[in-house]
Amino acid sequence: MTERSVPALQPLPAARIGTTMLRPDTAIRAAALGALFVLALTTPGFTAHASLLSFINTAALVGCVAVGMTFITVSGNIMSFSLGTTTGATSLMFAALSGHGIALALLAAVLLAIVLNVVQGLVIGLFRANPIIVSIAALTLIEGAAEMWTGNAILYVSEGSLSFLKGKVAGIPVSGIVLLACVALGQAVLRYTQFGQNVVMVGSNFRAARAAGVKTWRTVTAAYGWAGFFTSIAAILIAARYDAGHIEYGAGYDYSAIAGVLVGGTAISGGQGSVLRSFVGVVVIAAISVILLLRGFATEYQHLFTGLVVLAAVLVQGRLRA
Amino acid sequence: MNILRRVLGDGSSRAWMLLGALLCLFLGLDQTGLSVFGKGAGFSVLENFATFGPVALGLALTMLIREFDISMAGMFSLAGCVAVRLGQAHPGLGLLAALGVGVLGGAIQGLVLVRLNLGSVPVTLGGLLTFFGMAYVLTGNRTVDLPDLNVALAMNEPILGVFSLRSILAVLLFAIAAFMVAYTRIGRDMVATGSDPRAAKVAGVRTEAVTIGVFAASGTLFAVAGALMSYSLSAASPSGLSDVTVPAIAAVILGGASPSRGTARPLGTAAGVLILCLLRTGLTSLEMSPHVHEMVMGSILMIVAISDGPDLTRHLYRLGLGGGRDGSAP
Repeated sequence: MTERSVPALQPLPAARIGTTMLRPDTAIRAAALGALFVLALTTPGFTAHASLLSFINTAALVGCVAVGMTFITVSGNIMSFSLGTTTGATSLMFAALSGHGIALALLAAVLLAIVLNVVQGLVIGLFRANPIIVSIAALTLIEGAAEMWTGNAILYVSEGSLSFLKGKVAGIPVSGIVLLACVALGQAVLRYTQFGQNVVMVGSNFRAARAAGVKTWRTVTAAYGWAGFFTSIAAILIAARYDAGHIEYGAGYDYSAIAGVLVGGTAISGGQGSVLRSFVGVVVIAAISVILLLRGFATEYQHLFTGLVVLAAVLVQGRLRA
Repeated sequence: MNILRRVLGDGSSRAWMLLGALLCLFLGLDQTGLSVFGKGAGFSVLENFATFGPVALGLALTMLIREFDISMAGMFSLAGCVAVRLGQAHPGLGLLAALGVGVLGGAIQGLVLVRLNLGSVPVTLGGLLTFFGMAYVLTGNRTVDLPDLNVALAMNEPILGVFSLRSILAVLLFAIAAFMVAYTRIGRDMVATGSDPRAAKVAGVRTEAVTIGVFAASGTLFAVAGALMSYSLSAASPSGLSDVTVPAIAAVILGGASPSRGTARPLGTAAGVLILCLLRTGLTSLEMSPHVHEMVMGSILMIVAISDGPDLTRHLYRLGLGGGRDGSAP
């Protein structure tokens, strides 16, 4: 509280007041969102039922992983390259146990994803090991273990156990509702709990957080635990969509998720950002994909645009900081 | 004792000793009747070296200046696609174009991170996705072939029994890089930038130019590996013909590089790549599943990541297992 009151005591020059009212990043973001909105509405077929459905389904899967990724990015650990593989491995676990009852399969899937990430969080939090190397090591280990277990096979979900996830409630696909629930939960945890504040603190200044008495290793481990939890939700949605699990089902989700996180405006250096922003980022990327598709661009242009959008987001962040 | 400590304390020497030990182990197993080194094993090891070596070298150069170029897989794939697409009539032109893309892509990334004072991971992550995107657009999301099979034949033709054009080039690239780092001013400037960028700047090193140059070099090395790999297979695919990211990082780290300190060296990296290639060939000859190799690589990476963690000493000290001075109060 004291920290916040200090700048208010100093006289602000007029120009500064101007920038406080409409910060450049807010202006850029508002303009970009406005342009996208207009572009979407003027794209023939965007508001058609099928397009909206595909839009929600795409956003839901990546969105859940992005909610998890936000915890990792905000905690100052850049990103995890293993969330895609975790999604695949979790979908396998769910499919393998789906014959023993839905509750057991759900529990095991969620637990697996949490454990896989908590172990990485522990290594990073306790020893301050390089998060990029740890996540790449984990990606290799998880992939190797899963392929040894299944022999690269697809495991099918026992019939009908996930049909409720394919339905609609009041016309909205359940996957979309699940995403909204994840966003609400993630936002609440990161914004309104002591743990969430600790994550932001650890991400913005690790040493200061430690000096302030924050158990940094616990915070980092828990942040990875939450990332695992939200990733497991994406995995269950994938298993429901394909009625199966496979290690490759999550391929590329880590990249799409970090794209969403960065486009949303969460700082890659940590300590700043929110789940809500990542949600907006994911929605923007999904909308661009649908618009490109409807305007006749082939899939390859979506890859290029995602890359350019991420690059632009990184550059805008750097420009604003400089 | 001092000599032993010096040798073991140096990452590159450790890597070469590990390579020697592994070679002895495999040769020993070979003598006991297990066929680890079948016919053509040396050629196979060096072919893998030609694929992963330049990529690992590019990464090592960026890690030497304490940066991290993660765009390797994207540039590897893009360069392969550029070489095959533009080299349909004249493969030499295709290769030149691929190298141009490598230099330009790398230099732009270096320029951006120097000018905007950004971290290398986010910038090269953007680069990675953009390069992949360009490769998809260039090929129309398809695998493209090079009709002139003579190129592949020339690439894969054994020279002196174990070498090929590709592997000789890879060995040359390592030799040039090792010479430059050890004996030229550019190399000393790179080491200075990696050790302490501020001190280097004060001492008159143009750290920004060094960074841009190193990223241009890493881009070129990724491009060389990607283009030649595509030529040896007579095909290019936007999604990549080989996963180079994990082996490259594992090799650099095995070669004695630390993610937190600028300790990467070309010769150590060469040993790291050879260890991985030897393991791959040896485990395949022993009829082990490729996943075993993957798990070995993952374990190595994880162990190195943990042992490199700045807080490891602190915890060991607390447990009474270490006497490091770093283990003072948290």
